[in-house]
Amino acid sequence: MYTETLPLTFSPKMKAGHLIAKAILMIGLITPVIADDHWAYQPIQNPTPPASGSQNPIDAFVLAKLKEANFKPSPEAPPHILLRRAHLDLTGLPPTPEEMTAFQKAWKTDPQSAWADKVDALLGSPHFGEQWAKHWLDIARYAESDGYLGDTLRHWAWIYRDWVINSINSDQPFDQFSIEQLAGDLLPNASQSQKIATGFHRNNLKNTEAGLDKELARTKQVVDRAATTGNAWLGLTMACAECHDHKHDAISHEEFFQFYAFFNNTKDSDISVKLDKEWPITTIEKKKDEKEPSKPTPKAQALSILPEKEWRKTHVHIRGDYTRHGEEVTPGVPAAMHPLTIAEGEPPRLALARWLFADDNPLTPRVTVNQIWQKLFGTGIVATPDDFGTHGARPSHPLLLDWLASSFRDSGWSRKKLIREIVMSDTYRQSSTNTYPDRPNDLLWRQNSVRVNAETVRDIHLVASGLFTPTVGGPSVHPPLPSFVSDVGRSVKWPESKGPNRYRRGMYIFLKRTVLYPMLTAFDAPDTSSSCSRREVTNTPMQALTLLNDPVFFECADALGKELYRKHGDDADAAITDTFQRCLNRDPNPGELATLSSAHYDLLDESKNPELAMIATTRVIMNLNEFITRD
Amino acid sequence: MITPNPMTRRSALASLGGGLGSLGVISALGNNGGVLTKPHFAPRAKRVIHLFMNGGPFGPDFFDPKPALTKYAGQRPAGADLRTERPTGGLMEVPYQFSHHGKSGLPVSELLPMTAKHADDLCILKSCYTDNPNHGPALLLMNNGTMTPRVPSMGAWTSYGLGNESQDLPGYVVLCPGKPVRFSILWNNAFLPAKHAGLYINHSDLDPRSMIPWLRDPDENPGGQRKRLDLLQLLNQNHSKIRGGNDLQLEGRIEAMETAYRMQSSAHDAFDLKQENAKTREAYGEGHFANGCLLARRMAERGVRFTQVYYGNGQPWDTHSGHDKKTRALAKDIDQPIAALLEDLKQRGMLEDTLVVWGGEFGRTPVSENADGRDHNPHGFCMWMAGGGVKGGYSHGASDEFGFKAVDKPMHVHDIHATILHLLGVDHERLTFEHAGRDYRLTDVHGNVATDILA
Repeated sequence: MYTETLPLTFSPKMKAGHLIAKAILMIGLITPVIADDHWAYQPIQNPTPPASGSQNPIDAFVLAKLKEANFKPSPEAPPHILLRRAHLDLTGLPPTPEEMTAFQKAWKTDPQSAWADKVDALLGSPHFGEQWAKHWLDIARYAESDGYLGDTLRHWAWIYRDWVINSINSDQPFDQFSIEQLAGDLLPNASQSQKIATGFHRNNLKNTEAGLDKELARTKQVVDRAATTGNAWLGLTMACAECHDHKHDAISHEEFFQFYAFFNNTKDSDISVKLDKEWPITTIEKKKDEKEPSKPTPKAQALSILPEKEWRKTHVHIRGDYTRHGEEVTPGVPAAMHPLTIAEGEPPRLALARWLFADDNPLTPRVTVNQIWQKLFGTGIVATPDDFGTHGARPSHPLLLDWLASSFRDSGWSRKKLIREIVMSDTYRQSSTNTYPDRPNDLLWRQNSVRVNAETVRDIHLVASGLFTPTVGGPSVHPPLPSFVSDVGRSVKWPESKGPNRYRRGMYIFLKRTVLYPMLTAFDAPDTSSSCSRREVTNTPMQALTLLNDPVFFECADALGKELYRKHGDDADAAITDTFQRCLNRDPNPGELATLSSAHYDLLDESKNPELAMIATTRVIMNLNEFITRD
Repeated sequence: MITPNPMTRRSALASLGGGLGSLGVISALGNNGGVLTKPHFAPRAKRVIHLFMNGGPFGPDFFDPKPALTKYAGQRPAGADLRTERPTGGLMEVPYQFSHHGKSGLPVSELLPMTAKHADDLCILKSCYTDNPNHGPALLLMNNGTMTPRVPSMGAWTSYGLGNESQDLPGYVVLCPGKPVRFSILWNNAFLPAKHAGLYINHSDLDPRSMIPWLRDPDENPGGQRKRLDLLQLLNQNHSKIRGGNDLQLEGRIEAMETAYRMQSSAHDAFDLKQENAKTREAYGEGHFANGCLLARRMAERGVRFTQVYYGNGQPWDTHSGHDKKTRALAKDIDQPIAALLEDLKQRGMLEDTLVVWGGEFGRTPVSENADGRDHNPHGFCMWMAGGGVKGGYSHGASDEFGFKAVDKPMHVHDIHATILHLLGVDHERLTFEHAGRDYRLTDVHGNVATDILA
């Protein structure tokens, strides 16, 4: 027997159920013998915040854990860091020097209300929806082409992207947000917006190569839709043909196909939509001999249900092979989870969407608050947001997780309320200085200092340089693509954007799956082939090369350097201070100022060209680690 | 307007509390940057090239003939019913002919005719085993020494311990024409300093500009890049001090900037296969794996400590069905490049101090799956090593009569790691890093050096 031959290590802290779970993990059983006491499947507690010296529930939970470990929390970060943190976390954009001045002034009068007002203002900013949409779009594996060899463009995918932005900006309750994406087409008198929402499951890869097995290609899409649903709302790594190594976690082979059955009678339908704003449609690729295309009707990608007479039966695919039918199955959810009842006449897919928000579902609220928490702390309460199964990490603060989950659910699934609650806490506002380097931060004795994500690396350069175009939504843009990308690959036509569209946010760069924008890839943007709820954060020489030499960043430094010279002339100290305020949201300290200004004069001596010297100095500041770090 | 600051640059630097000479950056430039001032033992290998057959190959197809599979084909005799990832059927024959090669007479199958010519260089490890039959955990164990994420990979440990002989490239380079499952975590540095992370290169497009974008400064500003970089690093370092000096991310960024700077002068050349002559290109043959092997030799030549070549995107060796057809194609794809790599290293006098390691994250079952496929097998599998202080033409350990389970001199993944480190002159028990209140090492609390295979 396996277990006799291999050295298994068990921690003395493990309970019987974990031992079973671990044994299952090591044996690699396919059968769903899930230990019933796996934490993630337990009902959500509604824990009372412990009396640990704080009125704020989040702080109370965190402090209680810190006390247990004999740790103290860190002091509050200084206001300039707090403002930058809030801006970057909530909107993905840095504050301007003017915003900083105003905030500092308000802070002097009343820090608490200055902070509260600022948080509310940021939650109300249209850029809030952009930033948090981007997180969701990672999970939604959003892209604007099919992938595979053909990689056909999806010209109207952005209509769904904008739906997400608007939904988040209007604080659409998360349950409605979700139900519309999974089954908006099935809601009574579905609105255009609810149909657009179903674009969620049109984001998967789609193979349209000539000569392909159409049923195989369709099956793959359905598998992806089932797996993505499991990942996004349940934190489960469900079966997929490619990733069979986790599927035994909470779901058997048969159960997977019951889940698959929810998505097996859908049809891809493109619906004509009326947009509330007229966008210049310049991004449509024109075939060589084609005349200028006439003004196209916007067509959102949506899902619909097949007419009943065309309904497919779902069978288990023996060993994942769709040609080998096993037992017939009907739509259903895994036995380890809370029960699903489908009402008479209720479409199963809609029932599934509603089931996610049933009071007895412990997973969706936990998974969602954890996804949000990790974006505000760099890491989740469960460090594996995409895996709440037995392979995944256990929560560092189980009670806090449950408190957040239950209050999120009970307060009507408002993401803005949840984010506000977290951001207002002392825990969030702690300094990120790593005073005790040997001490891991899972107990949250400090904030984490994190490198901003790929799109933000671009955005902060654009904002600081003054080149930034803040337009929200609309067709994606095509900033210049390096020739080594555009010269290779199939059917790459990249209609380079001109004017202000070159300087739009990173999230609006056209997302063609086979031609990912190199700068975004270098900074760990996902490849969109599957749902991604946690980005890796690497720190590589490739990134350094990108910042040093990518012409986009050079263009930003060039613009800023020229502007500074225009504004400050030969007053290098003023120019350097201004650059610090724009890029780092603080004043240089005397040592930094002295160093930079004397270096600047050296550069000036050498070049005899004050503008060039200013650009060179600006490039130095824009390459500082601090610039791309959210402390 | 103010008058130009009369301070000289040198004194300005001093105003930040120390000249450049006091910066870690400079010391990192000056030596190999390893934590061990000298190896624990005389090293037999200076560098490693790890050819990773991701997905998991079946040893008895290549190096470990099992006639019993023909004898009992279709049956499930005792010992052929070990538990693996998925349901399996009866034993499945290996249809390939074996013959003895070289002075050593090592058996190699007809699938690898060119590699077979190097039989006397190969040290076949027939009794490897691992702990988990799933790709993710097994990949992590083989690369990082544990099935749970977030510990450093073997290449990172090696770079951390021994530093890097290359001035211009990182000490750990990972080549893959795509992404293996689990991706960057397989070459992460975890809690080790960030400069020890593997530099991932997707070499599916051989244009060095595509492998490593932005190698050139688009516009040479006054002062030159080195000057600006000195200044930049000084400011970074200063900021690090203000933040308590314990910012690993910042330290990593400083190192990455330095590596990036040095790569600018040489990486284009290092990754440019056009600089190889036609004869060499021809010797390696065509395809991503051939290109990967040749790039690996170029890395080794430049002093990169640890180079991994993943066979391909995803898990190409994962032959759950159509095993024979797929295996023939895979073997054809690796045979010539491996033979060429071994020959090339030998001709350059590098094989003696370059350890070449071949294998997957686990093996495959002698029993069938899906009628004509083979399932994952953690119980016993083959790897081989060559060069770098291992016995050539040697066969170590044995699997059972079906090639299912390691029986003689079983070699756990921890033992493989201990042995690789030993060959590099490192005692696996003494290369440690204190993190979160305990000492970590690649082999955790396990690992025995397979002394039998040392030349």
